[in-house]
Amino acid sequence: MTMELVSANHATAYATILAARANRTARGFGGGVYPITPQTECIEKLCDVEIEKGQVVRVESEHSAMAVCMGFSIAGARSFTASSSNGLAYMTENVFAAAFYRLPIVMMAVNRTLGPPWNIWVDHGDTLMLRDSGWIQLYCEDNQEVFDSVVAAYRLAEDRRVLLPVMVCQDAFILSHTMMMTDIPEQALVDRFLPPLDLPHRLTNRPRALGQLDNPHETEVHRKHLQSAMNAVPAVYEEIQGSFQEVFGRKLADPVVPYRMEDAEVCLVSMGTTASTVRAAVDEARSRGVRIGSLRLRMFRPFPEAVLRRHLAGCRRVGVIDRDLCPGLGGIVWSEVRSTTPRGAIVQGYMMGVGGGDVRPAHVTGVVRDLLARERDGAPEIVEVGQ
Amino acid sequence: MSADETTARPPQVMEIRLHGRGGQGGVTCAKIIASVYAGLGKSVQTFGDYSGERSGAPVRAYTRVSDEPVTNRNKVYDPHHLLVLDPTLLSDEIVTGLRDGGVLLLNTPEPLSAFTGRFERFKLALVDATAIARRHKIGTRSVVIVNTTIAGAFVNALGLTLSALEEAYAHLGFQSNLPAAEEAFAAVQVREPLVAPADQEGHVFRPGPTLAVMPLVDNVEGAPTGLRTGSWRTQLPKYVHNIAPCSAFCPAGNDVIGFVQAATRGEAEAAKVLGKSTPLAGVCGRVCPAPCMAGCNRAEWDGAVHIRGLERWISDHHPVAQDSAAPHPSPKRVAIVGGGPAGIAAAYELAKAGHEATLFDGEPSLGGVLRTGIPTYRLPRDVLDREIEGVLRLGVKTVLGKFLSRGELESLATDYDAVILATGLQKLRGLEGPGGDLEGVEQGIRFLHRLNMKGGVKLKGHVVVLGGGNTAMDCARSALRAGASRVTVAYRRSRHEMPAIAEEVQEAEHEGVEFQFLAAPVGFQGNGHVEGVVLAAVELGPPDDSGRRRPVVTANQSVLACDAVLLALGQSADTSLLPAGWELGGGRVSRPGPKGEPEALPVFAAGDLSTGDGTVTHAIGDGRRAATRVMRLLGDDIPELTRPDRAKAVPITDIRLDHFEPAKPTQERLIPAAERVRHYEEVNLGLESAMESHRCFSCGECTQCDTCLVYCPEGIIRRKDLAYAVDYTYCKGCGICVTECPRKAMEMSAS
Repeated sequence: MTMELVSANHATAYATILAARANRTARGFGGGVYPITPQTECIEKLCDVEIEKGQVVRVESEHSAMAVCMGFSIAGARSFTASSSNGLAYMTENVFAAAFYRLPIVMMAVNRTLGPPWNIWVDHGDTLMLRDSGWIQLYCEDNQEVFDSVVAAYRLAEDRRVLLPVMVCQDAFILSHTMMMTDIPEQALVDRFLPPLDLPHRLTNRPRALGQLDNPHETEVHRKHLQSAMNAVPAVYEEIQGSFQEVFGRKLADPVVPYRMEDAEVCLVSMGTTASTVRAAVDEARSRGVRIGSLRLRMFRPFPEAVLRRHLAGCRRVGVIDRDLCPGLGGIVWSEVRSTTPRGAIVQGYMMGVGGGDVRPAHVTGVVRDLLARERDGAPEIVEVGQ
Repeated sequence: MSADETTARPPQVMEIRLHGRGGQGGVTCAKIIASVYAGLGKSVQTFGDYSGERSGAPVRAYTRVSDEPVTNRNKVYDPHHLLVLDPTLLSDEIVTGLRDGGVLLLNTPEPLSAFTGRFERFKLALVDATAIARRHKIGTRSVVIVNTTIAGAFVNALGLTLSALEEAYAHLGFQSNLPAAEEAFAAVQVREPLVAPADQEGHVFRPGPTLAVMPLVDNVEGAPTGLRTGSWRTQLPKYVHNIAPCSAFCPAGNDVIGFVQAATRGEAEAAKVLGKSTPLAGVCGRVCPAPCMAGCNRAEWDGAVHIRGLERWISDHHPVAQDSAAPHPSPKRVAIVGGGPAGIAAAYELAKAGHEATLFDGEPSLGGVLRTGIPTYRLPRDVLDREIEGVLRLGVKTVLGKFLSRGELESLATDYDAVILATGLQKLRGLEGPGGDLEGVEQGIRFLHRLNMKGGVKLKGHVVVLGGGNTAMDCARSALRAGASRVTVAYRRSRHEMPAIAEEVQEAEHEGVEFQFLAAPVGFQGNGHVEGVVLAAVELGPPDDSGRRRPVVTANQSVLACDAVLLALGQSADTSLLPAGWELGGGRVSRPGPKGEPEALPVFAAGDLSTGDGTVTHAIGDGRRAATRVMRLLGDDIPELTRPDRAKAVPITDIRLDHFEPAKPTQERLIPAAERVRHYEEVNLGLESAMESHRCFSCGECTQCDTCLVYCPEGIIRRKDLAYAVDYTYCKGCGICVTECPRKAMEMSAS
């Protein structure tokens, strides 16, 4: 094991290279890649490295990148791509296809604001647009977590009980371009953690058709299968956490990460790196005697409803901080979390750092003040944080 | 400061902010500092503040250092230490938030004494990292990369050891830059804080000013992006005029691209451009071999712009000659001998400038070979008369119908302030062979003179024309119209080497003229009247001085039976007509002075007499040049008229062809061959419109196409009058506008 000062983009590439090599005794590795800020560094690094029984195909668009991944995956190879923002929008048709084909592809998505007008900074609206695509979605908070999540994503995706693609999401620049010391394990450890891929429906010598017409009833059944696979994720994930701990000696973060929730009556829910800022504001409010805690939603799909319900059971006030906007509704995280809050609780939505502004502890402290002063919840609010 | 000393205990989380410019490696510099601390077992975080950077834009980078894991993900607003990579970024504003007692490291050649009274609350550290990095050849001479160098100075100012630096460079693979870092480590000058640190708890969150945001559903015009360029830029774009090949190739010195582009806007504007250099646009628009079209950058792409056709179209739709002359404070009298194109052009040039020009010609009317030689079916006389009248309207005088004797010529040199001789090519080349004096063998020039000046000339039977130039084509086509039942042109070289205009040859062929190539006339047969031409077969040898393959006459001879022969074998200047003692050299006449040394006379030669180029366009150019020399001699402060350097013309490789659609040239309208041989009316009706002008690439000349404006990534090129203005405050010198300019009307130059 070595500690390296690397960006989360490079951490993703290293994780994928290790996972790719771990499949060398099976059908190897392949991915289709197309650059887009802020994920380009990741695929550049990937293209820079020789991978035994591995091939990275540089294509002309994101749509083709995912098509290439599907081809590799159905042939039994471990597969990866990375994209962001409008690239994901362009890729969308094949994003759905990958899940409907039940292909265990891993994609790293750097969360970036959808344009125009053009904006390269963080906003979760791009991957939340794909929340219904059938992909498992994990949102990360720091560099090590990005690395760990990518390695674990292959194991999760490839589990026979799951067989779904996984999207590992990270905040533009705040993670993608920020360098921190990251523990990058030896190949032997990754080999131990990640068995070779044995895709049950992989192509063989015998020709067959894929994705042809599904009659309504067939679709009903296939969607039920998809839903069961999603339902299997929490238990499988827990197993993987155990294995991860055993092999790498550190914890793979939970689907929902609580902070000072033991006696909390007030809770702030957030996703991505905003959670670290929220914790500073929680500490500040606690120092003033407020019984407040926070939850970081790490797994957005499948939606960890039961876990959230359990954590929020004692809360009378819940503030949900979204870094996205569903126009005409409000925050997407808020709209889902409010189904898990106790009856009678005030559940207020705040959208902060939409478009990538630097959300600072003082901004969140303002939100806490607003939440505590409320007699009832109201329409979700966009909080301007400026630059 | 020794390497062992350390600064005060680092705070729980130490924050460092770095200011630089895109391209200097600021983010990597912040990473180096983080690596040094990581090597010391600290938890670190480092990142750049990414924006719409391009090379030269101000950028910031941050590093956090802590004993505990770093969890803060915000930017750094109140740094403990600050590093400024680019001296031009230094301002009081840049130190905003820097905590008292913190290191403020500046990359500057200035000594500490230059900062007396400034930054006293901080630990000021100075190093000339640019000079050190340049010495160590890091980056290029103009763009020095200072990050790996200045990091050494920063490590020292922070009180860290050289060995920590070495370890980090080894880990990062930057060993080759270590000597520069070590030099900076040693060279940094440090001034301890002069003011005691104030209360450090005063750093609280201050929300920044919120800027007004413009709505998207309104047409609003905003300021450019806030990225000022400062001094980083090394190059900047400029709008330039590069010479177009058409203009460079025009022997008359016309502003070809100018009139073609003006034709897109209308005949009046285009005629005005032409009138600056030529009064004979209608003539050249009909008979010019058009070197401009040979040079046109479209020639190899989809066919040259039909420039000659456009010149004619302009002249046919609007008078070209200027209608008034400039008043001259002391007008001079100049005699011009020869009323052909060179003489007319010289007279026009002089008259425009306000001088008194007098044209002398032996013929009863002006025009020279344009009137006596060129057939009317190519150049209708009303066109010629119209253009000559344009020149005469400027006050040019004429003395016509009398050839001057040598004595009269000599007295002109004293009666006038200057004389221009433009008598053309009077000596006709004959055929040295038996039978040249047979009846029916005639010089083509004489035949054309009879035809044009007297009329009623009749030929019959088979007429053989000897030669391959334009005179030969004129003779052959005129012979058809004069009644010949058959016309054959015999030429000693191949078709490819014919000096005649290609269209002329083609039109002659369409009219039924036959050609016999590689056939050299060596004599004539006949009994009193010519009955045949003796032709020797020719083989082509190695190229001669003109670049054409030299014809080698063989002994293989044959006889071409005929009823008449027209000789069109070439003409030359006849200097025997000059007064005794007059010597022509370099376009000027001199005679022996009292001591025998040559004495220059105010007498110049122009046109074919001087150059022998043999085309109207060359004659016009040389006539203008001679007129300019006369005016300069007589005291006018004007520049000499020089031919543009063809080598400097914009090559097609500088044209961005992707910006243009291929489109074949428009053709002129011709009367059908069978009809046109029956009369002497003009064969060519010209272009139907001036639409052809829109095919012009406008090589080297801005057309206000907006490409630069559209492609500028900063959005800081604006329309200004009929051109553009670049806002150099924001221009980063990226050069995209210059690269994208379709026509080489922009260039980069040193900033």
